Amino acid sequence: MLTYMLTRVFRAALTILLVMTFAFVVLRLSGDPAAIMLGPDAPTDSVDAFRAEWGLDDPIWKQYFAYLKSIAQLDFGISMRDRSSAIMLVLERLPATLALTVPTLLIQLGIGIPAGVYAALHRQSVADRGVIMLSIFGFTIPSFVMGLLLVLVFAVTLGWLPSGGQDSWRHAILPILTMSVGGIGILARFSRSAMIEVMGQPYIRTAMAKGLSWRDVVWKHALPNASVPIVTIVGFMVGSLIAGAVVVESIFSWPGIGRLLIVSVSNRDLAVVQCLLLVIASSMVIANLCVDFAYGLLDPRLRAKTTAH
Amino acid sequence: MLIQRRHALGLIGAAAGSMALPGRGFAATQRRSITVAVQKITNNNTLDVWNEQSNVGERVFFPNLWEGLINRDWMGDQGGVPGLATEWTRLDDKTIELKLRQGVKFHNGDEMTADDVVFSFSDERVFAGTQPDGGKTLYPENFKPKTDKELPAGVPGVGRRLWPALRGVEAVDKYTVRFHNASPDVTLEGRMIAFGSQIASRRAWDEATNYAEWANAPVTTGAYKVLEYRPDVSLTLVAHDDYWGGRPPLAEIRFLEVPEVASRVNGLLSGEYDFACDLPPDQLDAVRKVAGLEVQGSTILNHRIQVFDKTHPVLADPLIRRAMTHSIDRQLIVDALWDGQTRVPAGLQWEFYDDMFIKGWTAPQFDLTLARDLVKQSGYKGDAIPFRVLNNYYINQVSNAQIMVEMWKQAGLNVELQMVENWGQVLSDETQRGVRDWSNSATFNDPVSSIVAQHGPNGLQQQRGEWTNAEMNDLSNFMQKSVDRPARKKAFARMLEITEREDPAFQVLHQNCVFTGMKSELNWKAAPAFAMDFRAQNWRAS
Repeated sequence: MLTYMLTRVFRAALTILLVMTFAFVVLRLSGDPAAIMLGPDAPTDSVDAFRAEWGLDDPIWKQYFAYLKSIAQLDFGISMRDRSSAIMLVLERLPATLALTVPTLLIQLGIGIPAGVYAALHRQSVADRGVIMLSIFGFTIPSFVMGLLLVLVFAVTLGWLPSGGQDSWRHAILPILTMSVGGIGILARFSRSAMIEVMGQPYIRTAMAKGLSWRDVVWKHALPNASVPIVTIVGFMVGSLIAGAVVVESIFSWPGIGRLLIVSVSNRDLAVVQCLLLVIASSMVIANLCVDFAYGLLDPRLRAKTTAH
Repeated sequence: MLIQRRHALGLIGAAAGSMALPGRGFAATQRRSITVAVQKITNNNTLDVWNEQSNVGERVFFPNLWEGLINRDWMGDQGGVPGLATEWTRLDDKTIELKLRQGVKFHNGDEMTADDVVFSFSDERVFAGTQPDGGKTLYPENFKPKTDKELPAGVPGVGRRLWPALRGVEAVDKYTVRFHNASPDVTLEGRMIAFGSQIASRRAWDEATNYAEWANAPVTTGAYKVLEYRPDVSLTLVAHDDYWGGRPPLAEIRFLEVPEVASRVNGLLSGEYDFACDLPPDQLDAVRKVAGLEVQGSTILNHRIQVFDKTHPVLADPLIRRAMTHSIDRQLIVDALWDGQTRVPAGLQWEFYDDMFIKGWTAPQFDLTLARDLVKQSGYKGDAIPFRVLNNYYINQVSNAQIMVEMWKQAGLNVELQMVENWGQVLSDETQRGVRDWSNSATFNDPVSSIVAQHGPNGLQQQRGEWTNAEMNDLSNFMQKSVDRPARKKAFARMLEITEREDPAFQVLHQNCVFTGMKSELNWKAAPAFAMDFRAQNWRAS
């Protein structure tokens, strides 16, 4: 088990390194930060001085090793735009994004899974059809359409909620609602499918045949077995807590990680983009690592297989 | 489990903290506060006029925050009007003396004196020890920065572009300064109006611990001062009640960054924003048809152009470039994409050049027969000409490019659109360049601020190796040094002939314009610029 875990941790670290290396190379090959940052009217003297100041004249391998060295010393660099610390910029924006994504995740879990399970337990009923229809609607409609639709109804027409910004808790309602819809749909669909599959298994028939109550059958036998695919999806959702609000943050002018990412990439603010990608990749990899470990906890067969390995 | 609980508590705390941001609840005041939704507040995340030389910077800086010795007449003809100087006199072709306005207070309460003006044009603040053309700095021994504040690398180059031959500023007495140039220059007054030549408090600079801290809230003399700047989020200015021009009419101006145009329009429609800036023409009707809202649009001192790269084998032949300039029906583009709200300019010049404006000069005439004939004369075989285009960096850029490609096709030219992501890719010479989009502004009222600065020997086009012309370069040097006004005008006319007809360096397309949606009750007038004037003389709302 320890070997298995260490292998997974090593793979996770390697994934993060590969992401960082790929981003480092691509960012430098896809446009000169000096020309982008200073704009099309900048004097060439200024462009040359900028390149020299930020070491952009050095060979890319030299820049890369300097970058790895500074990362190893927990120095994440400074922004080319205003010379502020890249990691501080990211950390300043993180709470704003989590203020949207954490409530969104809770809403998605709180509505999506029960709705899917209920639909599976009441197959072919009106409720089942309703859940299917709404879930398809939820995950097929793009968030930028949903966001603008909600703004049109609740901000422009009814005037109940603000259309954008981050001045109060009321400003968070529409972005959270926009992001929740898609996830609820996905979770409902997956939960329903997983439960339907489990409910058709022989061990469910056995449980019912030995006289267990319907409640016990569902809670003790069906749900734990259906949870493996659901946990996979939830893992992805947890992993995207940090980077999952890019579009919505833009629509609602919410100053979080997503907007920082867009601005930093378009300006080729190298230190900030690399810092963001490090944080985002780490969160995704850690979430997946947790999912891997959760499989073992949820499914004794996987645990046994791992031990056998 | 403990870790999970802590993690959850951390997230909840972070979420709660994020939502409990400072509210907008200001104490009751008789003066109104306004919210202005903009696509971008600044590009470089600073409020330094030398570092943020952009259109968006112009909007948040002028005329409310930064002021110069001579201010631009934003609501008038864009010429110069007395600002922090009340009068100025030419002592000779290289020297100008200015009398400072007395009693002007900086945002920190200090009185503005000659010392602050000297500082604002010093090596410490702008030039970083760079030498002026044709001479040495006035007091080189004065370049002894009192702190370890270092200017961003780009600033000295930008400063020297506007003031290539400035040797220094001399404080004659507390309220008198002299600008000393190394060479004769008839445009010194114009350069004082330009973006960058504004005055900052020396004490505030000295007291700041680093450049970033200073540039986040520079202390100036404008009618409004910085309360809070959150880069990429918002900029809040509040009234500077000691303003020399009278009590500002607004308590607070809040520029809010709303990147999506639909969101800016929605915020205006829902009443949250008083102004929504940077509206594209296709959104104007959505605002106009709502009672209580209106759109203000105005042409600005900026022309959209296409730049040619003479190193391209096909474009090396001026006949092809001339054919390209005559293939474009500019008025049709103005009518179709801009709802007729802008115009085809008289070449790369503006009326505010005044006596330097070349009357009778026009953009190349749309003449498809002539264009086809020129193509035929050139022996063009149909080789592709690349046209690098950004995704709507300029309003309507992509639609405009697509239309022009079709117009060039009508003349028998095979122009190939290449969508690129950023300016680095637009200007890159790693692959063969052909045509690219650009826009040219006039920073002050003389051709050296535009055609010389952008297409002369030190301009971007020549520095990037796209185009050069020996006669044009001689004329550029002449324009910068000559004080013979009739000869300068003649030289400018010749430059237009070279760059727009004989050996085209670029083609003008249309004058740029900006559209701002606003609440009609504000009774406010937009300037013919990005700048938004919220001083008393332009604020009539109750």
